[in-house]
Amino acid sequence: MLLTPNAMGRPLRLGLYLTTGAIAAFLLLPILFIVLLSFGSSQWLVFPPPGWTLKWYGQFFSNPEWMDAALASLKVAVLTTFTAVALGLPSAFALVRGRFPGRDLLYGLFTLPMIVPLVIIAVAVYALFLKLGYTGTLLAFVVSHVIVALPFTIISIINSLKLFDQSIEDAAVICGASRLQAIVKVTFPAIRPGMIAGGLFAFLVSWDEVVLSVMMASPELQTLPVKMWTTLRQDLTPVIAVASTLLIGLSLLIMIIAAALRRRNATNA
Amino acid sequence: MKVAINALHTAQGAAAGSGVPGATTRRPPLRQRWRGSRNLLPALLFLGLFFFAPLIGLLLRGVLEPVPGMGNYAQLFANSAYARVLFNTFSVAGLVTLISVLLGFPLAWAITLVPKGWGRWLLNIVLLSMWTSLLARTYSWLVLLQASGVINKALMAIGVIDAPLEMVHNLTGVVIGMSYIMIPFIVLPLQATMQAIDPMVLQAGSICGASPWTNFVRVFLPLCRSGLFSGALMVFVMSLGYYVTPALLGGAQNMMLPEFIVQQVQSFLNWGLASAAAALLVAITLVLFYFYLKLQPESPVGNAR
Amino acid sequence: MSAVMKDDTRARPLVSLRNLNKHYGDFAAVDNIDLEIQDGEFLTFLGSSGSGKSTTLSMLAGFETPSSGEILVDGQSLVNVPPHKRDIGMVFQRYSLFPHLSVRDNIAFPLAIRKQGAAETARRVDAMLKLVRLEAFAHRRPAQLSGGQQQRVAIARALVYEPRILLMDEPLGALDKKLREDLQDELRQLHRRLGITIVYVTHDQEEAMRLSQRIAIFSHGRIVGLGSGYDLYQNPPNAFVASFLGNSNFLRFTADGNDAGRFEGQAVAVRPTPGLAAGQEALIMVRPEKALALTVEQATREPLPAGWNEVGATVTELLFLGESQTCHVATQGGTPLTVKALSAAGMPMQPGQPVRVRWAVADACIYTEWAKSDLSKGAGAH
Repeated sequence: MLLTPNAMGRPLRLGLYLTTGAIAAFLLLPILFIVLLSFGSSQWLVFPPPGWTLKWYGQFFSNPEWMDAALASLKVAVLTTFTAVALGLPSAFALVRGRFPGRDLLYGLFTLPMIVPLVIIAVAVYALFLKLGYTGTLLAFVVSHVIVALPFTIISIINSLKLFDQSIEDAAVICGASRLQAIVKVTFPAIRPGMIAGGLFAFLVSWDEVVLSVMMASPELQTLPVKMWTTLRQDLTPVIAVASTLLIGLSLLIMIIAAALRRRNATNA
Repeated sequence: MKVAINALHTAQGAAAGSGVPGATTRRPPLRQRWRGSRNLLPALLFLGLFFFAPLIGLLLRGVLEPVPGMGNYAQLFANSAYARVLFNTFSVAGLVTLISVLLGFPLAWAITLVPKGWGRWLLNIVLLSMWTSLLARTYSWLVLLQASGVINKALMAIGVIDAPLEMVHNLTGVVIGMSYIMIPFIVLPLQATMQAIDPMVLQAGSICGASPWTNFVRVFLPLCRSGLFSGALMVFVMSLGYYVTPALLGGAQNMMLPEFIVQQVQSFLNWGLASAAAALLVAITLVLFYFYLKLQPESPVGNAR
Repeated sequence: MSAVMKDDTRARPLVSLRNLNKHYGDFAAVDNIDLEIQDGEFLTFLGSSGSGKSTTLSMLAGFETPSSGEILVDGQSLVNVPPHKRDIGMVFQRYSLFPHLSVRDNIAFPLAIRKQGAAETARRVDAMLKLVRLEAFAHRRPAQLSGGQQQRVAIARALVYEPRILLMDEPLGALDKKLREDLQDELRQLHRRLGITIVYVTHDQEEAMRLSQRIAIFSHGRIVGLGSGYDLYQNPPNAFVASFLGNSNFLRFTADGNDAGRFEGQAVAVRPTPGLAAGQEALIMVRPEKALALTVEQATREPLPAGWNEVGATVTELLFLGESQTCHVATQGGTPLTVKALSAAGMPMQPGQPVRVRWAVADACIYTEWAKSDLSKGAGAH
């Protein structure tokens, strides 16, 4: 009835489709707009642009500040990804396989950084690093990013581990593999999509993180979002549109990788 | 990575080898009750050191600085400017939740309804929007909504308005930008709930004599309720704590709680007041999150084996 | 109920379970089991879910640690040997093949772990592929195989390192009936050819009968019956096994001595039973196919042979089942009985008609002790 389009009344169906189209357009509008603007020739972001140009891209890539920021972002994101997976993997095993009391509560604790407002985490961690004298260091960036990335990796690995039939690992053990060998040779390959997805999430979270980074940043070390943030507060130069477009491109790339992994996993399962 | 694997090894391998050799009676050792929990240590240690300790430290400053006592809280509620911040925070969060539910519901419904391929595309649009850089999207809205922006120009061109509307640097901009950002967080849980509804149930509803409208209100909506509530609650909680969008699209006069906290810390170095505000925000968030968890049907960790 | 009932002295025991217990808190999943498994035998653990059969198998494999007791193989204790050093083969319920490896690599896995040379590995894997007739599928992934093929890969993987003991945990449960029967035949032949010791777990009694030389019947964590399928069916050691295996009629009677008594006032003869004393309540168990139902005319035409009993009853229902027919009757005292006969033999009665039910004294088992729950089907789980 209400879930089978053909059985719905024609006006209702038409109305729903039109609304949906409008909302989907609303979702896409700012993304397409920013990509187009990055190629527009107007310094004042006039739309539609009077002409098309690559000069903002030239400015972006020739400015060492932007390039340093991009490089810093990459460094922080990669380190965050590996740390989050390394911490998340054993935790996910413990939460799914463990037989100890309070597992739901512990799961809640691990996902808490996803719930507590970022501003508060940022202020709290900022206070800590201020006291230790570590603000503006790579360590401060990575540590603060791992805090918020960890729930994503843990959840993602837990989900794939829950789908994995543990008797397959037991089969490897009975075949003569030690528990460690069985986990490395059998379980890890089987949950690899979950591990990679968890890593991708961690990467995206770190790559896009603004609030924590703004707090941790120093003139010597700032990530791309920090550079965008500080620039944005001064003026709306189209170079920011270039940075935004590059960020959008990266998100799209990671989404495509994730989708490809999901598909491969679906055919293998 | 090495640490991780070592941790797995010791905890998993210990299970089979425990017990006294040669003895015929083995009491399960106490640690068997905590079997496998050792793997949690690295992450717990990390979070304890860098998340829980600083968080608790911050919350304590609210009652310890500048002098021990509840002075900061009294100030927070007594000062009308601060009370206004609280009012702004809640009304914006409420409005954003309402708008994103109104826009998210038809979208989720359509994704469930249309042929598979189309549904996939709609879902991909939602996901793309969700995973696109927050700053990029906010920047885009800033440009779109400004006085000389496309939207104002378009509205003037078709003669709806004569002078540009002020849509940024005030709460209007904040509500538009945040509703936009929150739509995916409504659509995803709601769509999952709708997907799980058996169409036969609705057919049964109409066989029983329900008109489409009655069927919608009495059968379909109640079945969507868990997804709708959990999505809305999540959006409300997230909206309360959002910083980036209000900071960029909002104005200096109409602050929300997160901006207020940052301002107190960065501009006035008033850690005591900032901590009191932070404690308030954390408390509200946790209470709402508790209700959110109550709405979830099953244990997130599940029961393997 | 003591567990060891009958010892096959022909072969020496390969595996001994002694006073084996597994407790989860106050709950005894396995309750003091004693069992000897002979070298080369096919033994099945039969029971409903929760009866302790799978837990016992898990302890044999090493995935569960006994709360107390001993597991010996060749006289050596296995309790403190981790599962990967036990050199036991196992086939799991859901195949449990490694999804990321080809059929060939799945079978080669145990050899790779044991660091076998490439040539030897190839030779043995080829031999296994041939044994389970999957040569043509060697390069496929498990997901590309049917259920039956996957199970054959699992068997090959469990046999390739030539373990002396093969454990099988309901390996055919996920397959449809026809395929299951084919694989049962293959498995029986495989066992005969390889002479390996197989411990098989199932809840399907027909499967247990078809496959095994001996069956151990599990109930509430204990072994309540042990022996060949024939013995367990024809002479169940207790009322629980009688009602669990196949169908059974229970007639409650009062003994007059150790070989006679009264059932609802009618005199019945029973097997001489030690310990049966006058005035004692006891049970007669007769299999439906061992009982005969005769109309009153038939009964007068054919006099009661020596060594047979006869009780009067009324037909309640007749059922035609194709090959066979069943006749449900109730005695004057209200005891329901079932009589089963081949359709060819014919049962010319109608519901409501009086009949005479007869059985040979030698075909009826006598139980002096039983619990009420023993008499209902499907008991045995906690």
